Amino acid sequence: MKTSSILGLNARGALFTGKYNSRRAKRIADSKIQTDRVLRLAGVPHPKIFKKFTTAQDVFDFEWSNLPDAFALKPSRGLGGDGIIVVKKRTQHTTWMTSSKQIITAEDLKLHSLDILEGAFSMGNDPDVAFIQEYVGRHSAFKKLSFRGTPDIRIIVFNKIPVMAMLRLPTKESGGRANLHQGAIGLGIDIASGITTKAIHHNREIVYKPETTKKLRGIKIPLWNTILKTAVEGQIASGLGYAGVDIVLHPEKGAQIIELNAQPGLSIQLANMEGLKRRLDRVDDINVIDAEHGVKIAKALFASKFVHRVKNSDDVKTINAIEEVKIIDANGKSTIILAKIDTGAWSSTIDINLAKKLGLLRKNKILMTRKKLSSLGEEQRPVISLSFWLAGRKIVTRATVSDRKLLRYPVLIGRIDLQGFLISPTIEKENLVKAKW
Amino acid sequence: MDIFFLRHAILDSIASGVPENTIILLLLLPIIATVIAASRTIIGIRGFGIFLPAALSITFVAIGPLLGIILFIAIVVISTVVRIVTRKLKLKLQYLPRMALILWFVSLGILAIIFTTHINFSIFPVLVLTLLVEDFTKIQLGKSFKTALTLTSQTLILALVSYVFLTYAPFQKLVLLNPEIAMITTFVIDIMLGKYLGLRFMEYYRFRKLIRS
Repeated sequence: MKTSSILGLNARGALFTGKYNSRRAKRIADSKIQTDRVLRLAGVPHPKIFKKFTTAQDVFDFEWSNLPDAFALKPSRGLGGDGIIVVKKRTQHTTWMTSSKQIITAEDLKLHSLDILEGAFSMGNDPDVAFIQEYVGRHSAFKKLSFRGTPDIRIIVFNKIPVMAMLRLPTKESGGRANLHQGAIGLGIDIASGITTKAIHHNREIVYKPETTKKLRGIKIPLWNTILKTAVEGQIASGLGYAGVDIVLHPEKGAQIIELNAQPGLSIQLANMEGLKRRLDRVDDINVIDAEHGVKIAKALFASKFVHRVKNSDDVKTINAIEEVKIIDANGKSTIILAKIDTGAWSSTIDINLAKKLGLLRKNKILMTRKKLSSLGEEQRPVISLSFWLAGRKIVTRATVSDRKLLRYPVLIGRIDLQGFLISPTIEKENLVKAKW
Repeated sequence: MDIFFLRHAILDSIASGVPENTIILLLLLPIIATVIAASRTIIGIRGFGIFLPAALSITFVAIGPLLGIILFIAIVVISTVVRIVTRKLKLKLQYLPRMALILWFVSLGILAIIFTTHINFSIFPVLVLTLLVEDFTKIQLGKSFKTALTLTSQTLILALVSYVFLTYAPFQKLVLLNPEIAMITTFVIDIMLGKYLGLRFMEYYRFRKLIRS
């Protein structure tokens, strides 16, 4: 690679952060409180702030026992993730357990808040503001990948275009923090598909997660489109021309912006094995209308070589009106069955004989019985927990059990299990079943 | 106007009793600053900004590099130990009182060094060193211990390089005899450094795999 493709500290300062990031925008990015305000006004998703402490009196007046079971206490203008206490669960009325498994009391939290106010963690030790923020847990896609902390996705956004991205996994060494300098792992991400490509640990390339045999490349990050769009929206809202947007995946709420950086680091180039300078030069003078447009441009420009091999990289999958599903039985084995995709039904239904055969209708498996109104009238139906694969996605849900002997298909998939699918009304010929009456 | 006006002015003031050293230091200071700026933009040595290494190098000139380094290391060690001990003892102190306590120990430590060695040094260099404690602690708090250590050692290297520039007699002579050329050259180098946008030497190393790919 040409050295002119690589972005160094000199060029970053003179050509990008110094040129495109106004003092006002930098102030917003440097203060998490102000970041929160700007994102809130722009309607960009981010973790909620429960309480803000600006004076010592605020700290003493606060009723600490009212805190939820999980939360994070942070300085507004902290550096490198320092001064953050993440609490995962409550052990007693006013004691909690932190993400590093330490017991912490309300008294400890008070002292820590006072430290923050004194400026112990802020740039230049200026007096700071402390705040309590909603806890963002680990998304199921990252459960086996990171140690204790929540992984985040760093996206460099320039001129409303997401230019480069990296997934940062906290390790034991980094103390649960997603900071590369502290020993977190950085994974390069293909912008077009959201699939990880390479991994670095302490600026050296690695293939497996340290001390495991877990491969780090080829991981598909869920909700990739939304993540990119959120990052661009965050950049636009902040007023930064060149921004490092940090995004976390909330297990239920999806992509949320956790932090904005006016001077994002350069190691992202090593994680992707790509030069930032060249990418930035390519998008410098493009006229971008909005976030969605910017994401489209990025996907077209920065797709990696393998992208044509990735099927259905979109977040929405198209399925037919009749689809094969693989139902997982009581022994964990899967059986292939034809299912009717029915957007007219609320929940999914499975035939009583099939459920019995798969061992899903034993007494201890029945969650409850419910009155159900169907085209056949009102009846009491048992509800069981059901796991199945549909078009490559695993769906874990509750299904009602009914006698479908006379119906064409033994399984019906209802609306609540069809999130993220697009249904085509066609039925493939071999899947067509004749009426049984 | 005479293009050697600086040289004449220097000779005049020395003749009228201004200490030669003051003038040499004032002439060398911009050069030191340029050297420090160059080692950042071209090589990539960071250190604590530009003021601290420069001040440290002048301290070295005043009390000698060996004593200077010993004092500096003593101060850094004392402040680190105090910080770790207060943390281990769970002495939860607020930030400013904690800093005050660290300074308390540092003062005592320097006094101990003076009492045992009876070395006579002026207060100015010691003050500069003591005030470094807060920067060091601040960076230790804000970043990892490793970063603080690299920054400290890089500051020391910069200060030592600057010290060599400040005390090397032929160089002093050269600047004193050609003050105009020295000033204009540093001016031009400063502008050129400010315009340099390429990779730093240390970045060539950091991104070597990228460059090779």
